[in-house]
Amino acid sequence: MRTVWTAIVALILAGAACLAAADSAPIKIGAILPLTGSGASYGVWMKGGAEIAAEEINAAGGIAGRKLEIIFDDHAADASKAVNAMRRLVEVEKVPFTLTSYSAPTLAIQPIGAQHKVVMMNGGGQSDNLANKDYLYNNIPVVSNEVGVMADWLAHDKKLHSAVLITANDEAGRNSAKTFRDKYAAAGGRVVGEEQVTLDGTDFRAQLAKVKAAGGELLYISSYGRNVSIIADQARELGIAIPMAGTSWTLVPETFKAPGAEGMLVTKLPFDPELPFAKKFKAKYGVDAGFFAVQYYSGTKIFARAAEEAMKKNGGRLDGEGVKQAIESVKVFDTISGKLVFQPNHAAIMDIEAGVLRGGKVQVEKVIKAGH
Amino acid sequence: MDLLLQLLATGIVVGSLYALCTLGWGLIYGTTLHFHVAHGAVFTLAAYYAYVGQKLLRLPLAVAALAAIVLAAVSGLLIDRLLYQPLERRGAVRTTLFIASLGLLILVENTLAIVFTPDPLRMDIGLLQRSVRLGPVFLTHLHLLTVALAVAGYAALVLFLRRTRAGQAIRAVASAPEMARTVGIDLRRVHLLTYAIGSAISAPAGILIAMDVGAEPYRGTTFVLLASVGVIMGGIGSIPGAMLGGLFLGLVENLGVWKIPSEWQSALSFGVFLVFILVRPRGFFGRHVASAEL
Repeated sequence: MRTVWTAIVALILAGAACLAAADSAPIKIGAILPLTGSGASYGVWMKGGAEIAAEEINAAGGIAGRKLEIIFDDHAADASKAVNAMRRLVEVEKVPFTLTSYSAPTLAIQPIGAQHKVVMMNGGGQSDNLANKDYLYNNIPVVSNEVGVMADWLAHDKKLHSAVLITANDEAGRNSAKTFRDKYAAAGGRVVGEEQVTLDGTDFRAQLAKVKAAGGELLYISSYGRNVSIIADQARELGIAIPMAGTSWTLVPETFKAPGAEGMLVTKLPFDPELPFAKKFKAKYGVDAGFFAVQYYSGTKIFARAAEEAMKKNGGRLDGEGVKQAIESVKVFDTISGKLVFQPNHAAIMDIEAGVLRGGKVQVEKVIKAGH
Repeated sequence: MDLLLQLLATGIVVGSLYALCTLGWGLIYGTTLHFHVAHGAVFTLAAYYAYVGQKLLRLPLAVAALAAIVLAAVSGLLIDRLLYQPLERRGAVRTTLFIASLGLLILVENTLAIVFTPDPLRMDIGLLQRSVRLGPVFLTHLHLLTVALAVAGYAALVLFLRRTRAGQAIRAVASAPEMARTVGIDLRRVHLLTYAIGSAISAPAGILIAMDVGAEPYRGTTFVLLASVGVIMGGIGSIPGAMLGGLFLGLVENLGVWKIPSEWQSALSFGVFLVFILVRPRGFFGRHVASAEL
């Protein structure tokens, strides 16, 4: 009898220890990012931004007293790698939330997240198809907003009325190209040629020779990552002298350094290099911060805020459903770049700046306020 | 018309790179009958040797490139000495050698990806990067150098095979190995020499493409595949055939996109190859394809 009682007491104690551990155990979230491949430069920013946010959150006492831990995974722009990472996060790590990036990988993991009630926060991918998806929130505007501004600016302000396109052969590239065709036509422009390139390619001369022969007053680069600098340099090498243009995702360190990209017409989303965050980033990682670093810093902070809210509401319990409800009810989040409001389509809207790339910096010529 | 000329010029440049690869692989295959896919690893290693030489050891570009060619030759030789010869001594069939070769290729590629990341590593090539204009055609100095080196590599190989005793020994082994053995030629030494020379001929292709667009770990697979296609098209055992086969592939890939969308580019060379092998199985100059065993 005595042994039975001892066993029961031991069990109760063990159970209590478990509960206590659960209460103070770190909160694990995922981050599926382009850590290698043609978009590795985004990966440096995204990972760094999220890491700094987690450090700040933990230094301030964590989320309702629990530490935040981020599990990073690499998708290398490959949707199937993203799916494997997501399965591991959902089934093994049982996370309530993950940061995600890129259009095709995010679209590939979204059904898994929705099925297992795991909130996904995308701060990088911009395909229009990322909007209106269950459990997926985009703290970045979808590309049609930005491309719309770009098309108007090119046709009306820059008086460039015919364009050739170099398009990355993936979800993001094709979606941006399609949107550009529509918006540019609406602004009175005409697309006279288009060639597709692979995201991990390094020689685009055949494609560029073809768009050169097609004519046009403008080369619109509907691609991103390392690709952009290679396209720009090889275009100039082939004697393509017309202006080039691209949206905010073309602005990676490689592009800033590429001689061929000098004078490129770009739209960008707001990023203030004077932010204390940017200084912290530079000091920690030795590279200049960029827009996408802030995005993943903010994405992590948005999670912390929503998780706190969810735990308050659910008596300390934290799950994806609670986080989703909290995001919907909080709706307006304070971030280091201003108020972020999730629109009914689950995407953010932001000011969009248009300008020229000169000497490694964008000289802004025009700012279009969010929602206009 | 301008487009056609530009594509023709780019085709010749790309074809020259393929030709260098094809010449090296063709020489090795024609002489040893090893389906040496690890040639792709040698080609890739050459690029990384040059990269390490220039960027990490701070050697001048030309010195780094020359050292890389020598190291590539040694690498090729060691693959035969340490992998194929021991296997052959134990009576391994050609398929076994092929699988071992494939394993080595994958091992080298993955090791390079882990050590150097899968991202392309750019080298500093200074003035070679400059664009030159030849009428409506734009090329860089590096591209002109590429074509010159392919022609020089071809000429040097032909002269070597015709004029030197070692070259004649290689030709003897290539055409009749048993006969060569009976007249006292050491097959193993000839194989080693063939590997060294075949690797040294293809190494510049790996280095030149790294100078152009960066060193990448997985590029060798595509190149060795194209090299084998080029050799079969050119005719197995034929050096002029290998040269032409390589050039032909580069031209098909680039001229093909004149009227076809460019996403078909890589499918084109293999498509043409399939048609070619059905219509003209001997290749341009060579022995019958059906007689060439793997």
